[in-house]
Amino acid sequence: MSTTIEPTPTPERHAMGKSMKRKEDPRFIRGHGRYLDDFTLPGMLWMSLVHSPYPHARIVKIDKTAALAVPGVVAVLTGEDLAAHNLAWIPTFHGYDKQMVLAVGKVLYQYQEVAGVIASSREIAQDAAELVDVEYEPLDPVVNPFQSRDDKIILRDDRENKTNHIYHWEVGKREETDAAIAASDVSIKERIVFQRCHPAPLEPCGILADMNPATGRLTLYLTSQAPHAHRTVVSLVTGIPEDKIHVISPDLGGGFGNKVPVYPGYVVSAAASVVLGVPVKWIETRTENLTTTGFARDYHMDVEIGASKDGRVTALKVATVADHGAFDAAADPTKYPAGLFGIVTGSYDFPTAFTELDAYFTNKAPGGVAYRCSFRVTEASFAIERGMELLARKLNMDPSELRLLNFVKKEQFPYPSPLGFVYDSGDYHMTLRKALDMIGYEDLRKEQAEKRERGELMGIGISTFTEAVGAGPSKHFDIMGIKMFDSAEIRVHPTGSAILRAGTKSQGQGHETTWAQIAAEELGLDPQNIMVEEGDTDTAPYGLGTYASRSTPVAGAAIAMASRKIREKARKIAAHLLEAAVDDVEWTNYKFQVKGQPDHALTMQEIAFAAYTNPAPDSEPGLEATYYYDPPNLTFPYGAYIAVVDVDRETGAVKVRRFLAIDDCGTVINPMVVEGQIHGGLTEGFAIAFMQEIVYDESGNNLNTNFTEYLVPTSLETPHWETSSTCTPSPHHPIGAKGVGESPNVGSPAAFVNAVMDALAPLGVQHIDMPLTREKVWHACRQAATA
Amino acid sequence: MNLEYSGKESIPASKDAVWAFITDPANIASCMPDVTDSTVIDPRTFDAVVGVAVGPVRGKFKFHVVLDPQPGGDRLNLKISGGGFGSVVDLTAGADISAETDGSTTLDWKGSASMRGPVATVGGRVIDAQAKRVISTTFANVKSRLSPATVAEPA
Repeated sequence: MSTTIEPTPTPERHAMGKSMKRKEDPRFIRGHGRYLDDFTLPGMLWMSLVHSPYPHARIVKIDKTAALAVPGVVAVLTGEDLAAHNLAWIPTFHGYDKQMVLAVGKVLYQYQEVAGVIASSREIAQDAAELVDVEYEPLDPVVNPFQSRDDKIILRDDRENKTNHIYHWEVGKREETDAAIAASDVSIKERIVFQRCHPAPLEPCGILADMNPATGRLTLYLTSQAPHAHRTVVSLVTGIPEDKIHVISPDLGGGFGNKVPVYPGYVVSAAASVVLGVPVKWIETRTENLTTTGFARDYHMDVEIGASKDGRVTALKVATVADHGAFDAAADPTKYPAGLFGIVTGSYDFPTAFTELDAYFTNKAPGGVAYRCSFRVTEASFAIERGMELLARKLNMDPSELRLLNFVKKEQFPYPSPLGFVYDSGDYHMTLRKALDMIGYEDLRKEQAEKRERGELMGIGISTFTEAVGAGPSKHFDIMGIKMFDSAEIRVHPTGSAILRAGTKSQGQGHETTWAQIAAEELGLDPQNIMVEEGDTDTAPYGLGTYASRSTPVAGAAIAMASRKIREKARKIAAHLLEAAVDDVEWTNYKFQVKGQPDHALTMQEIAFAAYTNPAPDSEPGLEATYYYDPPNLTFPYGAYIAVVDVDRETGAVKVRRFLAIDDCGTVINPMVVEGQIHGGLTEGFAIAFMQEIVYDESGNNLNTNFTEYLVPTSLETPHWETSSTCTPSPHHPIGAKGVGESPNVGSPAAFVNAVMDALAPLGVQHIDMPLTREKVWHACRQAATA
Repeated sequence: MNLEYSGKESIPASKDAVWAFITDPANIASCMPDVTDSTVIDPRTFDAVVGVAVGPVRGKFKFHVVLDPQPGGDRLNLKISGGGFGSVVDLTAGADISAETDGSTTLDWKGSASMRGPVATVGGRVIDAQAKRVISTTFANVKSRLSPATVAEPA
């Protein structure tokens, strides 16, 4: 159903907008979190995977003999074994492709799963996996999408179409855009690459599969950001009825999109448990996580912007080549093969725009939409924010002025973008001006000018991004056909405490606190006494899970709406208790009172007790409600970020001296939780900008297989973050919230890169692709010096 | 990753002695460092188990070595393939053998190796030094075994 609700008009909030400490933290900081690897069951076996050293090879023979001879080894499974149960391949999440569980016939990327060894201990399983003798016939690998494009080597001979081209996607007006750019006074064009990186959650993926032969029920303890979606996929793939599958996603040590897909390790463990009738556990190694699970990005974007000579943008064109790896496993909504990349016009009022994308298979690991990216919004934001910076330089215009000149104006909302979105709300001018004031922009520019006189390299980088999150409205958004609503179920207990269950799954976002705050706000209850439970498919209402900044826009709305259903029932009980007509009872100051009579008022706690002890004659006892929320539109959080850097031209070292993030995520539920999200996302954005890349060499070797090669920033590298906010509530969301989890990762890389490029501008450096390692920056400085 | 190596080695022995030595699998196996076990399969082939310690990659690699002496006795080609714990190493090498006027023999050799798996990840930084150590140790052992003092002594 479509819903239009006014935000709750409350002058002084009861529970929301307050920096309540996170309810989940005491157990985390005391070591009492319960993560997947903490689960052990009697008679449990362990599974370990055999991986291909080759990126592309035919499998000639797999000899299990030596592995099976190891005492403690129970079984060795190969793709052929799974094929006998129709489990060698599984569909990818958006349903257009399939992926191998264990390789059959060919391996398509290095570290691809080839066999699974099940044994009595983890160590025996790992040792025996070394003894599985696989004979390969190596084939030439394709590790670059531009090489893949020529179709000289066809990677996927299982597909009907013998091409490496996966799909072409486009939106906007091609001819109009081309003509507008050609007719522009000024234009820029740049190849901007968003490198392949990896979310690398500190807790890797894992499963404990427990088939109970007596009940016929399969319990899957799973590192899952989307437990219900995983239950449905398991049912569809195996044919096991969904009521016989119980998914429990316990505490998660980070996810960032990495724990959305279904991985071979899950399927092999579950299959082994079903066949053997005992629990089977698999916990990924760090190398397995980095080399086989959902990577992020690998977009090669040609960005063109046209503008008048006074700086008004006339058109935007972005043509992208996407490297999807061996399978098209990017878990995008079905109708959005390139995710929400159409947000690429960003915060700017382009009269026309066009974007197209071609995706290709390569001999690299599959994935593509992980790492806090809101379905490709990160790539799009990076492209437009770099593009605007290049345009400002071409126009010899201050980048803040260019942005202020071209922002969508406050009065234009709801704003229909040329690529098909309708932005809900925003005041981009206000937010950027606040950022410029807070950072002391004019003084910084003066300081920069002085430093340039002395030959010092200082840069200021701006990123004023707009996101599209909260997928999504059922008419447009589904995953494998399941509409992307979300849900909440709230039961108020007789003494006024409550349990709240949602279809989402926190991986560190703090739902146990913020969900309680929403319900407490709507019901006038104490958030400390609202227990939040997620991740158990037997108890939680069906929902599509937590990723793409969708939890607050969708499930957060469901919580508010379920609370309002409870409030409506409570009003009837209040009327009964106050001996007044229902219409004469109003919700004021978090109490029900007879209109105009504040001393004739009842708290929700009193009403809850009555719901069980003295229910109204014409109503059901009890006080609970469930709501499935189908959002009418996406939400469009935005921000203005400014980075200030100093670059040492002798060493290439970049020092991020200041970083200010002003976020507008609409109504804030808990400022401290939002700030925590911003800090985490900025730190990841910093890592992407300066440190992280998954590199494949020309032979298809993955060169970043552990944390000595793939860097995660520590407190030593991480800059100090300055944060603030503005608030333009979403007009269509029940509490006006927009979501914020991914904003800092979406918005910050461009601010960092723009700052470094601004620092290097006196040397004539236009663009360097991320990560901006010391080596790359040093080379750029050296080249400029020798030119 | 692919690595290329080449060099010239002077062996203080006659060309015939060098040729006879290096075309015998048992001799080659005994000159390679860190070989913990070797099995000569036929006069041109042997298997060797080699202890490897490259950065975090430590353990035993199994190699299959094929010697391919070219007719005329002037060139020896060599192919080594194998690996361990998820890594694969392929190496092809060739040496031109020529007699010098001072009675010594020169091996003008060239080899290329390709590596895949964990060993390739650490390769860039560590493998190069390890490979050079293996090559220099092997030639040092060959020289030592063929030096006049050694040859003169009774077996």
